[in-house]
Amino acid sequence: MTAVTGETPLQAPIQGNGLLGQPLDSREDPQLLRGEATYVGDIDLPGTAHMAILGSPVAHAKILSIDAKAAEQLPGVLKVATAADFTDVMPLPCIWIPGGVESHFPPHPYGLPGSRPVLSGDTVRHVGDAIAVVVAETPRQAAAALAAISVEYEPLPVVTRADEALAEGAPQLHEAVPGNLNAYWTCGDKDRTDAAIAEAEVTVELDLVNQRTINSPIEPRGAVGDYNAATGEYTLYASTQGPHNHRFLLSALVLGIPFNKLRVVAPTVGGSFGTKGYLYPDMALVLLLSKALGRPVKWVDTRTGLMNSTVQGRDHRQHVTLAGTRDGRITAVRCTSYANLGAYPSTIGPGVATALMGRSISGMYDIDAAFCEVYVAFTNTVPLGAQRGSGRAEAAFLMERLVDRYASEIGMDPAAVRRRNLVPKEKFPYDNGLGWTYDSGDYQLNFDRAIELSGYADMPARKTEARTRGKRLGVGIASYVAICGVGPSTRMSKEGMLGGTWESANIRVHPTGEVTVTVGSASTGQSHGTVFAQVAADELGIDPATVQVYEGDTLKAPYGQGTYGSRSYSMAAPAIALTARKLKAKLVKAGAVFLGVPEDKVVYADGKVFEAGNEENTKTFAELAMAMWYGWGLPPEIEPALDETTHFDPPDFNYPFGTHVAVVEIDELTGETEVVAYTAVDDAGNIGNPKIVLGQIEGSILHGLGQALMEHAEYDPDGQLVSRDLGHYALPRAIDAPFFTLDKTTTPTPHNPLGAKGAGEIATVPPAAAVVNAVVDALSDLGVQHIDMPVTPEKVWRRLRGEAQ
Amino acid sequence: MDLSLNVNGRPEQFSAQPNELLVERLRDGLGLTGTKVGCDTGQCGTCVVRLDGRSVKSCLILTAAAAGSAVTTIEGVTTPGGELTGLQEALREEHGTQCGFCTPGMVMALGELVDNTTDREPPTEPEIREWLTGNLCRCTGYHSVVRGVQRACSAARAQAPVEQGTAQPATAAASGQEG
Ligand code: FES
Ligand code: FES
Repeated sequence: MTAVTGETPLQAPIQGNGLLGQPLDSREDPQLLRGEATYVGDIDLPGTAHMAILGSPVAHAKILSIDAKAAEQLPGVLKVATAADFTDVMPLPCIWIPGGVESHFPPHPYGLPGSRPVLSGDTVRHVGDAIAVVVAETPRQAAAALAAISVEYEPLPVVTRADEALAEGAPQLHEAVPGNLNAYWTCGDKDRTDAAIAEAEVTVELDLVNQRTINSPIEPRGAVGDYNAATGEYTLYASTQGPHNHRFLLSALVLGIPFNKLRVVAPTVGGSFGTKGYLYPDMALVLLLSKALGRPVKWVDTRTGLMNSTVQGRDHRQHVTLAGTRDGRITAVRCTSYANLGAYPSTIGPGVATALMGRSISGMYDIDAAFCEVYVAFTNTVPLGAQRGSGRAEAAFLMERLVDRYASEIGMDPAAVRRRNLVPKEKFPYDNGLGWTYDSGDYQLNFDRAIELSGYADMPARKTEARTRGKRLGVGIASYVAICGVGPSTRMSKEGMLGGTWESANIRVHPTGEVTVTVGSASTGQSHGTVFAQVAADELGIDPATVQVYEGDTLKAPYGQGTYGSRSYSMAAPAIALTARKLKAKLVKAGAVFLGVPEDKVVYADGKVFEAGNEENTKTFAELAMAMWYGWGLPPEIEPALDETTHFDPPDFNYPFGTHVAVVEIDELTGETEVVAYTAVDDAGNIGNPKIVLGQIEGSILHGLGQALMEHAEYDPDGQLVSRDLGHYALPRAIDAPFFTLDKTTTPTPHNPLGAKGAGEIATVPPAAAVVNAVVDALSDLGVQHIDMPVTPEKVWRRLRGEAQ
Repeated sequence: MDLSLNVNGRPEQFSAQPNELLVERLRDGLGLTGTKVGCDTGQCGTCVVRLDGRSVKSCLILTAAAAGSAVTTIEGVTTPGGELTGLQEALREEHGTQCGFCTPGMVMALGELVDNTTDREPPTEPEIREWLTGNLCRCTGYHSVVRGVQRACSAARAQAPVEQGTAQPATAAASGQEG
């Protein structure tokens, strides 16, 4: 039994009844399994009209004219609109301006030069750039009418690579941004790093391409706008992971309508992995057109539409250098990266390309000198945004490739090199010299566990055995540290994030003793309803079945910044726990009245209050709930009812970490790479529901393997997206991986009361590096030092035949 | 053209354009939104329904081509809020669904596999993975789904009326295991 009396400090340890850490079944699953959940495409408001968007077929052009007359005449067509119809609508804001911009004290300018309008008027800058919309009675009529809009284009030269966009004479995307450079950003100590590299016994260098990827949630995006002329209120239903944030940005900054006249509702969302937290033109358009037409307007994207308009990820070209001693001590790491921002700065795209990647490059290692610089460039491609593991995956890739390269250069075992350089346990909190301070960790324990579990010592024998079957076996290790738990708000302002990043929770106790928890996050498949009920029930000592969780509707929920960067459990859940503690503190005060004893004699534990030393004198949670609802006999300093809210802004981020080991077999004849074993040991601090986290880890690893082996958003020189649908963009299928061997270590963070670190996407961070390391290991006797992702059979086959990369 | 279908045991008559897809009829015409659309190229499997007992991608079939057939959608598998099938129950226990968007299509496709294992050896892990290749899932990594199918197949076999069914509890008792 754990007990609490009176006030409790922020960082008090877990005080629950043991529910946390239990693998409770997801209460969301039955509806999903019956197909009963409502996604945005399933919303059917009376009188709904349907919107389709005309995307540019060319990557870069001036629009000379748009003629929509023929489209307007087609059956069912209600309206065709172009940029000319929305001249009073502001561009979609970009709220992450890298490089620290506290000069933008609120109210801040709403965007960067180059921010995108809701429809492009005089210039298109990527294939799929939205230039016109049709609203019709049926989706088919709307789609058919797009073909009848004739647009005259004057082609402009195209650039699709960040480094080429910065070269002299490159095509220019935005008049306001000469040279296409959106941001130049650095972190770390350049002089110290350059000096360490110049003096080093050994240096190794790599040129890396972290290819562009498409998250591809299985549900494409969608939006329904519903304007109520009687009240002047707008409702947006959208596949969003940040309803409050979208409400703020859309109302105040885009539409110019009062904040309190826009309601944003996230229904069930079919996966996101980062992409559904961005503001897209369609969200504004359905609202504007609903008002114009006096009826709800619905838009649901196609897969090809998603490929051409939903933010894409990664896409760095990097030159990286590592310096060290002959005996395996890493002394410096340096990275110069060219990041491809796409045609417009998406909501937080510039930040993903910079801080989220750059400050993590030294990974788990204790390195004296580190420096990263990023050139963020506009190109004629889909805007860049977050992808599962965003930034951290790119950082882990470059560092873990470098470590292997270094190990091979000095002839040491890659595991031994890593082991030697891990940040030692006693050095936490650890300042990594790049701007992050790692909160807590036992990297040695984690690393050793992964190495042991993977059977690393047996690999030489397995390699020999594989050869007898015509296979080359390779083993690759990748370790990582992933920044999670975004806020703290002030820190994010220093990163150039225009907005707060705290999270909130409200708990309302009903007279009958049941409890409603509302939070500002929005699940995209993480079973928040289950886990958050678990947190509240654990703190309050009550049955989780009596706790209901609501989120995703700005009308019902307290403010919050949404679900991204694996932050829900380490941001919203602490807010819930702290709120529950406020309630308990109040119940201790009220308990003194109800039990007729002084306050310091009142104990709250296991869902009741009682007199210390006399447990007969007690009131249950349900009795207290009713008594507080009645409010009889309460002294003036105790308000009736039980309804509390907490806004949680943590003192610092949290830093989950882990080590993964991939074993691949390469077919000598076909060049095909098969992942035959995969071991992952992750540390996300205290875990609330291991069943839910297990699912996220497994999904994350396969997502990471996808980048290593098959995923690539490929543009041709004209800026056409070659991988424009699922026939051309390969996603991992069930046959693409064996079962994984998983384990965890547990190092709580001091930065929230649950000791919880981010978990949802962290296991996406290392797999690409682990697999490429394994492939290079398998090919090392051929002199292969690096191979670019995705590691396709053709690429490997060529290397097997001695062709250069 | 005037067409008819039997959907989840109910006869439906309607008139449809010749180019209408079965998934459009189900979702937009009949309001059966459990069947999802995840792509436009027949790759993702979110639209799988059963047509005369066999799983098909309803985005790849014209309504006209399905005319006269019996269609089972996810809505035909359970009643609203009702008891889950063995497969759904097993997927629930293994948490084989996260965002749930791929789930109805998976249940429809895997149902055929599970139904056909009561009288044969349970499918192996590679077999289950092969069976799943027509369905994409971006959340789960498929592992929990595969475990769910294994669990469902074992349960289906345990319940099937085969001779050794009664011998199992005795074996468990003999080995000293307790529940
Ligand atoms: S909707 Fe993707 S296969 Fe049918
Ligand atoms: S559960 Fe989200 S796609 Fe499968």
